[in-house]
Amino acid sequence: MERKRSGRRYYNKRKKTWTQQCKDYLRQFIAFLFSNIGIICLVVGYTIAGAFMFIFIEGAPGNAIAVIDRVGANRSGTADRIWDMVCCNAYCEDEWKQEVQVHLRSFQSHVIEAVRNFSYEGPNKQMTRWSFSGSFLYSLSVITTIGYGNVTPRTLLGKLATILYAIVGMPLFLLYLSNIGDILAKSFKWIYAKCCLCRNCKKRRKRMLAIQRKEQWKMDMRDFKLNTGVLTEGEESDDEGTTDGSSSLSFNDTQEVTVPISLCLTIMVGYISGGAILFSKWESWEFFDGSYFCFISLSTIGFGDFVPGNSITGSGTSIGTGTSTGTGTGPGNRGSAGTVIELSFILCSMYLMLGMALIAMCFNLMQQDVVMKIRTCTDIVRRIGRCKN
Amino acid sequence: MGPVGDKSSTGSSSAAYNAAGADNPKERLKECCRKLVAFMCTQVGVGGLVVGYAVVGAFCFIQIEGQAGDAQHHAVEQLRHNCSVNVWNATNTYNVLYRDNWTRQVTDALTHFQVNLALIVKKGYDGRTTEETWSFSAALMFSLSIFTMNGYGNVVPKTMLGKAATVVYAVFGIPLYVLYFRNMGKVLAQSFRWLYTWVYQCSMEDKAGGDLYNQQLPQKSRVIVPSTACLWVLAAYVATGTVTFVTLEDWSYLDSTFFCVTSLCKIGIENFVPVGSITDAVADHPMKLVIKFIYLLLGMGIIAMCFDLMREDVQVRVRNLKMDIGLCFEDIRLRAVAVYRRRNSFD
Repeated sequence: MERKRSGRRYYNKRKKTWTQQCKDYLRQFIAFLFSNIGIICLVVGYTIAGAFMFIFIEGAPGNAIAVIDRVGANRSGTADRIWDMVCCNAYCEDEWKQEVQVHLRSFQSHVIEAVRNFSYEGPNKQMTRWSFSGSFLYSLSVITTIGYGNVTPRTLLGKLATILYAIVGMPLFLLYLSNIGDILAKSFKWIYAKCCLCRNCKKRRKRMLAIQRKEQWKMDMRDFKLNTGVLTEGEESDDEGTTDGSSSLSFNDTQEVTVPISLCLTIMVGYISGGAILFSKWESWEFFDGSYFCFISLSTIGFGDFVPGNSITGSGTSIGTGTSTGTGTGPGNRGSAGTVIELSFILCSMYLMLGMALIAMCFNLMQQDVVMKIRTCTDIVRRIGRCKN
Repeated sequence: MGPVGDKSSTGSSSAAYNAAGADNPKERLKECCRKLVAFMCTQVGVGGLVVGYAVVGAFCFIQIEGQAGDAQHHAVEQLRHNCSVNVWNATNTYNVLYRDNWTRQVTDALTHFQVNLALIVKKGYDGRTTEETWSFSAALMFSLSIFTMNGYGNVVPKTMLGKAATVVYAVFGIPLYVLYFRNMGKVLAQSFRWLYTWVYQCSMEDKAGGDLYNQQLPQKSRVIVPSTACLWVLAAYVATGTVTFVTLEDWSYLDSTFFCVTSLCKIGIENFVPVGSITDAVADHPMKLVIKFIYLLLGMGIIAMCFDLMREDVQVRVRNLKMDIGLCFEDIRLRAVAVYRRRNSFD
């Protein structure tokens, strides 16, 4: 920051030759690179570190084996109970089935709990939830406060680690958001000013110049009144260089343009529907489900009913069920599915990080627009009030 | 949204008008009264609006989702029925009661049941029918979790209409909630700052006539609340929540802390889903729900307050740091110049 500011001062003082301008741009670019790339790297590195930590804590193979054993023990227990029933029953089919249903129901609730809370996948399956990609998505969802909740820590250490990880990670991510959002907002504004206001519609620019002149006139009037003591607020001291009407808009000028809210909304809607198309291709969701997922994720609600990678593991399981006894066919399938899952996880996390920054940018721009509008509104109201007086 | 916004804007504009010429005490008193009324209106109005929005959302979601068919539940029932038929057949075929064969057959049937069940559960089935899932309390927590951006995910909409309604509800609810958050944060920050100043003054000096002094002081000089105090407040709030939920819900201390922290940070990992027994879901006491609801809303306000106060503190600190660094550099520069000069004079 310091360097950038000094650079700008330098830029203002001297007359700008071409080489100096170039140097200045270069310096700004390098500063930009350092500050922002550094933060992005920090966030990504923090997430990767978190992923490894959670794999270490939660993904211990002992847990998985214990869960599988527990489900197996419950199954044989149920079989035993049914056997007991077989021994001492009067063989009335309906009554007998009713009793079997009771046992099955308890077995069912056990399986549901195992699947939902202890990341049990199926009898012949490895635990894929705490794989690298799964825990990467978990740590990302913690620091972005999305919190899908499809993967939850089960051990004491895991919960503690999550709390600490969130406390450190969230400010970091907020820093990332504010920085990247700022940068994106500035560059978007620049692009908007260059493309939409300068080239395409000169009429509009002329109109804007006229409006600016009018405002300058009003400001002069206000200054006049301020000098004579009618008004008692004094904040307007700048705005000297806005009305010289030179043909090229400088960087500072472009930063005073406000981007309309509708454009921001369009960008957000476009991003969400683009994501929906992408996810409907990768994950074979419907378009509506994809856009629902994108909205829920980007607004950081994160229910976790749709999570990328789930459907692929699901299809893997269905292949497994087709050959219910074949344990040897597993690894080949899993290998091919694994790479797809990894890729989709990586793309999803990139989509999320970019999308959050984009939304931060949109809010930044919209806030500026709204503030501008409110200011003009209050100005008008004040002027009306003065007229009445 | 509309009336509250109007109210606040008129309040602020009237305050701006009065700020210009309010010297005599009568005017000042009037202004104070007006401010108080505006404050009450905005705070109570926004709070009431948030609560009302949540309740309306809960009813809407019950209406929308409660009528949805129960395809998964029926599928599971079918599975269970098939399984019991299989077991019956096994019993009939091995009616010699040869135990090993029987056990193998039954285990196969059970395994089949288990695998298919696991698939359905992964698609979102949690062992409850829609009526049990969409009880009023669950729907209220669901709508709260939408607009606070918590998203617990123990209850999710299954139908297309429900999903669309969720999106629309979030689009309108989140700005409303942010308004509440900002307002609440500001008010709480002001009151906390006042309290802090008061306590600070009390502890600093015990002179006679201190009362008058104390009341005037917060307006004159803004005491900046250190961020450690905010952290203590947050920690105390989390601890209170932990103890409350331990007594209310029979969770362990760690689970309770985990719930408080993840909820207040808006992460919202809900892993205390009442799956095991269906009766748990039904017997969700309304009192517990209300306490949870109030705890979350108030907690968000307190977090906003801490943000407000800490930002101020951090700003001051950064300014001080900058000044220190500037002084340091100046010092170094002076020293360097002195050294240079001395060397020159030696030469």
